[in-house]
Amino acid sequence: MTDPNVRYVVLSIVLLGGVSGAVGSFNFLRKKTLVGETVAHSMLPGVLIAFLLSGVKNPYILVTGAAISGWLSILLVDFITSNSRIKGDSALAIVLSSFFGFGIVLLTMIQSRYTGNQSGLDHYIFGNAAAMSPEDSVAFAWVCLIVLVLSVANYFSLKAVIFNPDYAKAIGIPKKRIDTLISFITILSISVGIKAVGIVMMSALLIIPPTAARFWTSRFLPMLIISGIFGGFAGWLGAFVSYSQTSMPTGPWTIIAVSVIAFLSMLFAPKRGVVYQRWNKLMLKRRINEENLLKAAVQNEVRGKGKLFNRAAISTRQYFEAKLWVRTVRRLTRKGLIKKVNTGYTLSTKGRRYGAEIDRRHKIWEVYLQRRMQMSVHLVHDEAETMEHFLTPEIEEEILGELGLCSRFNPILEIHELVPDPELS
Amino acid sequence: MDAFWIIVTGFLVASSTGMLGNLLLLRKMSMMGDALSHAVLPGIVVAYLISGSRASIPLFVGAIIMGVLTTFLIQFFSSKGKMQSDAAMGTVFTFLFAVGVILVTKFAGEADIDADCVLHGELAFVPLQTSSFLGLGVPAPVWTLLGLLAVIQIIFWTGYKGWLITSFNPEYAQSVGIRTVLWHYSLMAATSVATVVSFESVGAILVIAFLVVPAATAYLLTDKLPLMTVIILIHGLISSTLGYFVSDALEASISGSIAVMSFVLFAGAFLWNKKKG
Repeated sequence: MTDPNVRYVVLSIVLLGGVSGAVGSFNFLRKKTLVGETVAHSMLPGVLIAFLLSGVKNPYILVTGAAISGWLSILLVDFITSNSRIKGDSALAIVLSSFFGFGIVLLTMIQSRYTGNQSGLDHYIFGNAAAMSPEDSVAFAWVCLIVLVLSVANYFSLKAVIFNPDYAKAIGIPKKRIDTLISFITILSISVGIKAVGIVMMSALLIIPPTAARFWTSRFLPMLIISGIFGGFAGWLGAFVSYSQTSMPTGPWTIIAVSVIAFLSMLFAPKRGVVYQRWNKLMLKRRINEENLLKAAVQNEVRGKGKLFNRAAISTRQYFEAKLWVRTVRRLTRKGLIKKVNTGYTLSTKGRRYGAEIDRRHKIWEVYLQRRMQMSVHLVHDEAETMEHFLTPEIEEEILGELGLCSRFNPILEIHELVPDPELS
Repeated sequence: MDAFWIIVTGFLVASSTGMLGNLLLLRKMSMMGDALSHAVLPGIVVAYLISGSRASIPLFVGAIIMGVLTTFLIQFFSSKGKMQSDAAMGTVFTFLFAVGVILVTKFAGEADIDADCVLHGELAFVPLQTSSFLGLGVPAPVWTLLGLLAVIQIIFWTGYKGWLITSFNPEYAQSVGIRTVLWHYSLMAATSVATVVSFESVGAILVIAFLVVPAATAYLLTDKLPLMTVIILIHGLISSTLGYFVSDALEASISGSIAVMSFVLFAGAFLWNKKKG
């Protein structure tokens, strides 16, 4: 890592990863994730036409050619989708295949006519990371700067157009201009980056960092920042692997690094991650079982069936499988909500209060459904069976207020509430 | 005679991939061809490493396995991992492609695998693989593609009702007990087999084009399925013929020219459709 050349390559890749991550988020949030793939492929004919017209391999001319044909491809995609019933993804595939096909035609024509000086043209499309020079990192730094300035200057318009186009339209934000802006920064980063890292790597850098970032946040600015950091960090990792191992390509390792980040995010991100969601579901299931057991025990007590209960007694109200029973009872005992007595179990004071609370919520919801939703007496019970686990004290208070009942209202003592209200019928 | 076989090959590819493209279009999965063309690379490399030869059968099997695996991974990420479906596709295929490139550099040394054209099918080579049958010199790829076309047609016409209902109204289909996931996977499996088989003889770019362009053209012109099928077949025939003669005149890639011609036909249909309102 001490060789200045190596440092330039690493710096370039990190800058490119960061800027593509941020730019990709704009497209990702507009559900046009694969637009980078199409634009990157569509640059091939532009590079070749620029070469044919100028006759030299001047990088500025070729990159300009790439940018123009990339821009045309975006315009064509938009034109197709807004003037026919062809959907976005099909338009992307149509434009990709025709532009790239045209590029192949041009490439084979050039190869069959010119000899010698056309070699290396395909580097503009397939990438050649090893040949990155200090000028490349300067170019990437410029791209970063331009993207940063443009995004900051148009931050609120971008946010409005992406998240709430109707609102943006209503307050007079020119959607066309913002669309153009997003296309511009997309094309800018792809056309500058593609020579260094190639089509696939460029699409990957635009697609994967936002995909990973999405698992961590649903807000705009954090999304841009996290996505940029993921892209840059993956670039650094990719460069690190490729220099610590001999003859390992930088681009593919960067893609691997960023994909691993995405997979880990998918699994372990808080809230959206698969593990968290599974865990949450499990916890919910456990809580529902515990609450059902406590409620059934309380109801047995209220109906004078004694304070002692076992699986058979509870199962008359709420069926518990043997295994589930053992587990639920063990958890409840540990929490101090029930106590083991020689032949069975009994509720602790805390457990009785908890069970009664659940039963109360059940009844309150039943009353609410009958009075406000005009639901039949026979239907309300099943609905309430689910809702009793989700009613919060705040909602409960609101419902009681709406029903005109005071907060000490105890539905256990008011079972007759379930008889249809004579006023309503 | 070479011209004839090349056009026939193009036509056969267009007619089998076009039929599937029809369904992919409805499911908003038209980029599948592009995704598969990149994603099968590791399958090919692994098959090459295991078999130790460049013979086409093992590589082909590797590619097909990888293609089916890709479709499973995409579906898995988007349904279980809750990824946006196009993002899932993009993540999976770029990742697999990167794995493929790394495998190539690691094991095959300076292997000549182009960074973007995974399977170099080139139509110009089709007539060179002629084998004699009943006194006719029919190129081997034509036989393969004929077989593919027959299989795809049978699958399409037996299954299209299921695929249509699961594309248009998945909730309803689910509620009447149709197993939407199964239908999805079967279409994806058929697509990956068809694309991989076609890659070998015509190259990735033409398959990507034929998976979407003929179907999109037909979709612009009509709603009736039988008519759409006819348009797809005609589209394949015309673009293959025109493409071949253009490439002959320009000394350029045949696959590329056919892809461009196929777009020209689409553009024609598009303008006609727009003018009609």
